[in-house]
Amino acid sequence: MADKKKSIIPTIILTIISIIWIYPIVMILFNSLKIESAITTSGVFQLPTSETWNGIRNFVASVTQMDFLKSFWYSLVISVMSVVLILLCCSMCAWYIVRVNGTLSKVLYYLCVFSMVVPFQMVMFTLAKTADTLRLNSPYTICIVYLGFGAGLAVFMFTGFVKGSPLEIEEAAMIDGCSPLQVFFKILIPILKPTIISTAILELMWVWNDYLLPTLVLDIKKYKTIPMAIQYFRGSYGHVQMGPMMASIMIDIIPIVIVYLVCQKYIIEGVVAGAVKG
Amino acid sequence: MKMRKIAAMGLSAVMAASMVPALPVMADDAAGKVYYLNFKPEQDEAWQNLAAKYTEETGVPVTVVTAASGQYETTLQSEMAKSDAPTLFQVNGPVGLKNWKDYCYDLSGTDIYSQLTSDSYTVKDGDAVDGIAYVIESYGLIVNKTLLEKAGYTVDDIKSFEDLKKVADDIQARKDELGVKGAFTSAGMDGSSDWRFKTHLANLPIYYEYKADGIDDTDAIKGTYLDNYKAVFDLYITDSTCDGADLSAKTADDSRNEFINGDAVFYQNGSWEYGELSKTYSDDELAMIPIYFGVDDENEGLATGTENYWCVNKEASEDDIQATLDFMNWCVTSDEGTKAMGEDMGFTIPFKTAEEPTNVFVKQDQAYTESGLTPVSWNFTTMPSEEWKNGLGTALTSYAAGAGEWDDVVSAFVDGWATEKALSE
Amino acid sequence: MVGKSLKKWWPVFVLPTFAAFIIGFLWPFIWGIYLSFCKFTTVKDVVWVGLANYKKIMIGGDFSHAFWLTVVFAFVSSILINVLAFSIALALTKGFKGTNAFRTVFFMPNLIGGIVLGYIWQTLLNGLLSMWGQPLLKLSATNGFIGMVVLLLWQQIGYMMIIYVAGLNNVSPDLIEAAQIDGATASQILFKIKIPMIMPSVTICTFLTLTNGFKMFDQNLSLTGGDPGKKSQLLALNIYDTFYGRSGPQWKGIGQAKAVVFFVLVVVIALIQLRSTSSKEVQA
Repeated sequence: MADKKKSIIPTIILTIISIIWIYPIVMILFNSLKIESAITTSGVFQLPTSETWNGIRNFVASVTQMDFLKSFWYSLVISVMSVVLILLCCSMCAWYIVRVNGTLSKVLYYLCVFSMVVPFQMVMFTLAKTADTLRLNSPYTICIVYLGFGAGLAVFMFTGFVKGSPLEIEEAAMIDGCSPLQVFFKILIPILKPTIISTAILELMWVWNDYLLPTLVLDIKKYKTIPMAIQYFRGSYGHVQMGPMMASIMIDIIPIVIVYLVCQKYIIEGVVAGAVKG
Repeated sequence: MKMRKIAAMGLSAVMAASMVPALPVMADDAAGKVYYLNFKPEQDEAWQNLAAKYTEETGVPVTVVTAASGQYETTLQSEMAKSDAPTLFQVNGPVGLKNWKDYCYDLSGTDIYSQLTSDSYTVKDGDAVDGIAYVIESYGLIVNKTLLEKAGYTVDDIKSFEDLKKVADDIQARKDELGVKGAFTSAGMDGSSDWRFKTHLANLPIYYEYKADGIDDTDAIKGTYLDNYKAVFDLYITDSTCDGADLSAKTADDSRNEFINGDAVFYQNGSWEYGELSKTYSDDELAMIPIYFGVDDENEGLATGTENYWCVNKEASEDDIQATLDFMNWCVTSDEGTKAMGEDMGFTIPFKTAEEPTNVFVKQDQAYTESGLTPVSWNFTTMPSEEWKNGLGTALTSYAAGAGEWDDVVSAFVDGWATEKALSE
Repeated sequence: MVGKSLKKWWPVFVLPTFAAFIIGFLWPFIWGIYLSFCKFTTVKDVVWVGLANYKKIMIGGDFSHAFWLTVVFAFVSSILINVLAFSIALALTKGFKGTNAFRTVFFMPNLIGGIVLGYIWQTLLNGLLSMWGQPLLKLSATNGFIGMVVLLLWQQIGYMMIIYVAGLNNVSPDLIEAAQIDGATASQILFKIKIPMIMPSVTICTFLTLTNGFKMFDQNLSLTGGDPGKKSQLLALNIYDTFYGRSGPQWKGIGQAKAVVFFVLVVVIALIQLRSTSSKEVQA
């Protein structure tokens, strides 16, 4: 009896906290369905009524007005390309660093660790200029910048896992006549799969949400990512298009939530794994 | 062995290929192109359309990028450092020009300069014409005429500060009967609209002081007319839709929504609001009256001026500069250009070929000027710095909330001016 | 053996990453250090000025204000996040109904980007402040600061909680059972067994929250933008603002010099942290 009672009260408390926890997002959702003049500073807590109901008009406005779908596409291209490139190149690099003992490996490893602590503000101007000179300023090429700036963390994480993977299998494969490339793709990749997924998710979260790097590096004449596009709902004389802005926030959040609910297991494993190594 | 080597080389090639776009692509720019970094997000769409039309007509590529609100300076700085820098950008006046004058092409002798209606619509560095104003705006008190008439007054009853105070106090006293929340909209002292008070309203004491002293800039403001500033500001916060203490809890959008929802009769703002307000009100319901300051009310008109000057980037290639000048000229002389700027963007442009305005506030400004009133010039372009404005804004907010004294506002105004002017030298 | 045959394959395995690393980090970093000793607006007009930029860092006092604000912010948010995340983790490892659902909910905010987070909380907190008749986030430095702490709590508690849950799950149940048989109270088990056993998780979470607090930028930009009058500006935003927000040739160099100081600060913290981590891991 006592046990049962004990487990109900905490559940209720946690439920209340959970509701508070998701309230900000629910509030944005409600407001994205209201008409503009009903979204006043202190009126954000009111639910939409029949008078203030605006249906999906805000969503339509935010999609058409700001070329939001284009931004969505650019965000997607940048995220996917960067993450794929980072995973492939950094896992290869990590394998080399672990298995080959030499100055190159050591220098690379310590440089990677070092780059992890450097704040972005340190390189923002020079990186933007370098990327501009090399034309790495389109959604299709910016992945090289991400590979360069994100290499530190990825290489660091992968080296940790490669160290833990058994050397014997690789040696046996080599004796059987496999080239290093074959060993890498046929043996190491399957072993590293959980790590790859975890790292992919960590990097994806970073690139998708990144604001300052694309703002400074991308050719803003042509391309905007979602975090950049959301800023454009504010006018020059202090007027904010609250309705479309709320709607665009929802459009930004919804895919993340879906991906999260689908890949929840991997994300949480990734966080734990990243923390143990990081 | 061979297979492996080939595979390796193949993979290297794939990876190298992913780097290929890294090589600079040399575009053929012989004809020249235009890159305009626009300041006003509201007009972004209209500019994009106009640019497309120009490209269609002439074949010259025009790119218009609009900076996000409050980020013009950061965007301009970051874009100017790039290889494809803006060819056309803007500064807000003499203070803004100081930072960019090394990048400004001298516009004297250009077609667009000769189209200006008055030389006063330029910013100069010595003899060089560095910037040309492309829009003239007015601000004052926007009035909901319907509500005013309901209260038993017309716009013609308000001809001085005393009249304004009398009417406002009366409306405030009868607010429940009239179905409004107050005479004036709430302030909105956060970053979204504090400029209405720390910049636009603060322009009036500066204007009258300059006028009395016969100067157009000073290192030490005396604050001769700060009592009038206090009187107007007191009126705003007493006859307001909300309590003084709550003023700092309102934003520009709250303020606008109060006016749109008919909760307030007066709303201090400018001609740029027309687009938004005309969605709710017809032209007959709206009017703009001068912010009567109790100094020279019989002659005071709307505050009219500009904070938007076009500058051409000197560092751009000659072809691009020429293309940009042609584009500017086309915007202010061609039928499409003047129509787009006048109607789609709602601008009054200071050029000879300007269209008749449709903006009711602009029309009113012209009417006031024709009837012999003197427009109040925009002197806030001589305010020492953003720091000064922020200091004044903070003092005003705490005064409105009842936490600070008016003396702090005076000190921020007068002492802050001297300090900041000295710093900017 | 693997190493030997792999060694000559470096153009395939290492070169792409290394080349990108030079473009994306190494070269900009070295160039950035050089530029901190220069006066420049664009890269075309660079003039060497020696230490002049470093001497001007303190002008206006905004840098030292941002510095101390960041230190206070990082520590306050770090302590709060860790205490709350640990408490929730403790509750979630007790095996109550719906544990998984709670975990899902608490972690979710972590996936939302800083800019969007800032806008969400600006709407929510300004709504609350407005209802209570308090000055808005951008008008009161105190409210702005509290707002940033609340935002960061919401964003990061879930992440840290996951790490703590993993740590707590690794504490062997036998050990706890043995302690219970010996008559240990619940609080004794918590302080004498659980907390010492999860010290590695504690150090990791402290490190992560501290560095996140120090480097916070997006949330600061979109929630308060540094208002009122730079009083809620953290270091990263202060550097960005000095660099891009103020025009005039002197400011870029000063901004770059501030960035170098910021970088040194972060490295020092990381080194101290690394020391204490490794010394504690020996015990564990």
